[in-house]
Amino acid sequence: MSGRIEGLGERPVVTITFGGRQLAAFEGDTVAMALWADAQVALRQSSRNGAPRGVFCNMGICYECLVIVDGVTVRGCTTLVRDGMVVERGGKP
Amino acid sequence: MNARILEADVGVVGAGPGGMAAARRLAAAGLQVVVLDEGQRAGGQIFRQLPVGASGHDRIAEPPSHEHGHRLIEHFERAGMDRRHGASVWDARPGRLWFEQGGESWLLRCQKIVLAPGAYDRVVPFPGWTLPGVMTAGALQVMVRGFGVVPGRRALVVGSGPLLLPTVASLVSAGVQVVAALEASSRWRALRALPAVIGNGARRREALWYAKKLLLAGVRLRWGWTVFGCEGDGRVQRAVIGKVDRAGRPRRDTARAIDVDVVGAGFGLVPSVELGLHLGCASRHDAARGGHHLVVDDAQRTSVAGVFAAGEICGIGGAEVAMAEGELAAAAVLHELRGAPIDAALRRAVAAERRAADAMLAAFAPMPGLHELASPDTIVCRCEDVTAQRARAAAALHGSSLRAVKMGCRAGMGPCQARICGPSLQAIANARPDEVMDRPIVQVPLKVVRSETIVDAPRD
Ligand SMILES: Cc1cc2nc3c(=O)[nH]c(=O)nc-3n(C[C@H](O)[C@H](O)[C@H](O)COP(=O)(O)OP(=O)(O)OC[C@H]3O[C@@H](n4cnc5c(N)ncnc54)[C@H](O)[C@@H]3O)c2cc1C
Ligand code: FES
Repeated sequence: MSGRIEGLGERPVVTITFGGRQLAAFEGDTVAMALWADAQVALRQSSRNGAPRGVFCNMGICYECLVIVDGVTVRGCTTLVRDGMVVERGGKP
Repeated sequence: MNARILEADVGVVGAGPGGMAAARRLAAAGLQVVVLDEGQRAGGQIFRQLPVGASGHDRIAEPPSHEHGHRLIEHFERAGMDRRHGASVWDARPGRLWFEQGGESWLLRCQKIVLAPGAYDRVVPFPGWTLPGVMTAGALQVMVRGFGVVPGRRALVVGSGPLLLPTVASLVSAGVQVVAALEASSRWRALRALPAVIGNGARRREALWYAKKLLLAGVRLRWGWTVFGCEGDGRVQRAVIGKVDRAGRPRRDTARAIDVDVVGAGFGLVPSVELGLHLGCASRHDAARGGHHLVVDDAQRTSVAGVFAAGEICGIGGAEVAMAEGELAAAAVLHELRGAPIDAALRRAVAAERRAADAMLAAFAPMPGLHELASPDTIVCRCEDVTAQRARAAAALHGSSLRAVKMGCRAGMGPCQARICGPSLQAIANARPDEVMDRPIVQVPLKVVRSETIVDAPRD
């Protein structure tokens, strides 16, 4: 489904938590890309029947990738992962 | 209160080809330059780099013509200047740029501003386009070329214009099976781009490189086709595709379903004009150049003194245009600050690149019939969850201008500030076109930043 292209060099591994589950990411990943590589495609719920939304523009303009990091709502596609980061699904922008 | 204030001769927004070309030239002439870019690495959209530590770009779909782009990155990174990545510019005045970097609030005071913020994908709403897994063609490219992440197993690429080719190439390089690649323009309409491609050595080589890449991967570009809708449980699993007529109207009798797990849609690009409009720069609407773009004179000066612009913000034209305009903008800044004459060759280069780009893009001007893809309950504004039906009702009730539609149903009033729905809202709501009233509404903060950033922002 998803995953990483192989043979692109080594980057330090970090661990983040999403929805209570731990997963490994690479330093330099955005939250959205770390989650996508782990097959987590639903990042926020829209106000309309809670429909799932995910990465749409991947360049910081659409706000579909909103997640909550340390209690603050941020764009998953512009926020870099940090070791020990706790990420939750976002809501309405 | 964390007031962080920087002083420089010139502030450049954007480290894509336009911004890099300008900044490098300005720094080489000895000016103090600060470059602000939201991305983590230099290169902009086209020459996007993998994160620090990763390498192997040659394997991720870069045509040979990108080599000079990477040379530009090298020169840019060697030149003496203050390059700031992860820096989002959220407010501006002539001579002042406010930005957030690393969660901190900064102000750059400078004599001149060069705007090179690029463009973003134009997307046309269709049923199911809000499902996870459906994204812009650009988003797929960023995923593959910017992060080395595999988007899925079976991809559908739809849209219109030259950028479908690099999107397909990226997917192929990532090992994704491209089940269908659909160009909405007819082959005959696209033929109008041919002279511009054949007549330009670099463009011709690039087109051939992509053609070979697609051929080897067994991907055939289908002309006059597009996506009618996407379906799936929690993420995209199927797409319905079919033919469109010459205006882009779906021919429902040709519909057929295919299984896919990722969809990239890109119907051209829209200039990122917000900063320029906020600064008060004059703009013009030109469909073939992507819609509203800043108006510049023959030295990349906007209508606001001390503010220059280069690249896609002056109308979609591609990387060659951006680089030529960046060079010219720098020369104009040097003229104003140092009295240096502007080399006429730079002006000629810009004019020639613009002519070639205009000729090519005319063949892919937005097709109005594509707005019929949206059904009444298709969400048009993704931020506020406004459906096509509600947008139409607002147009009927509140007067038919686009601004009235926005006020009436909140479409386009969410945090993306209509960057996504703006280009199609008017057509879908049947709003009356109005050159002045249709200018995008821009609000500070231009990029969503922490509230502390705004509160702590150094005043002047
Ligand atoms: C997703 C995408 C993929 C593309 N891929 C290709 C391709 O493969 N081949 C091709 O020929 N063309 C491609 N293009 C077309 C591309 O627009 C041009 O070829 C070229 O990159 C334009 O150069 P530019 O300098 O005008 O802007 P860009 O290269 O877009 O650079 C603009 C930079 O400004 C930054 N920026 C914008 N606003 C702000 C702000 N407020 N604060 C701080 N920084 C900001 C952005 O982060 C970006 O790095 C692509 C465009 C997009 C949108
Ligand atoms: S995916 Fe659009 S802002 Fe993150």
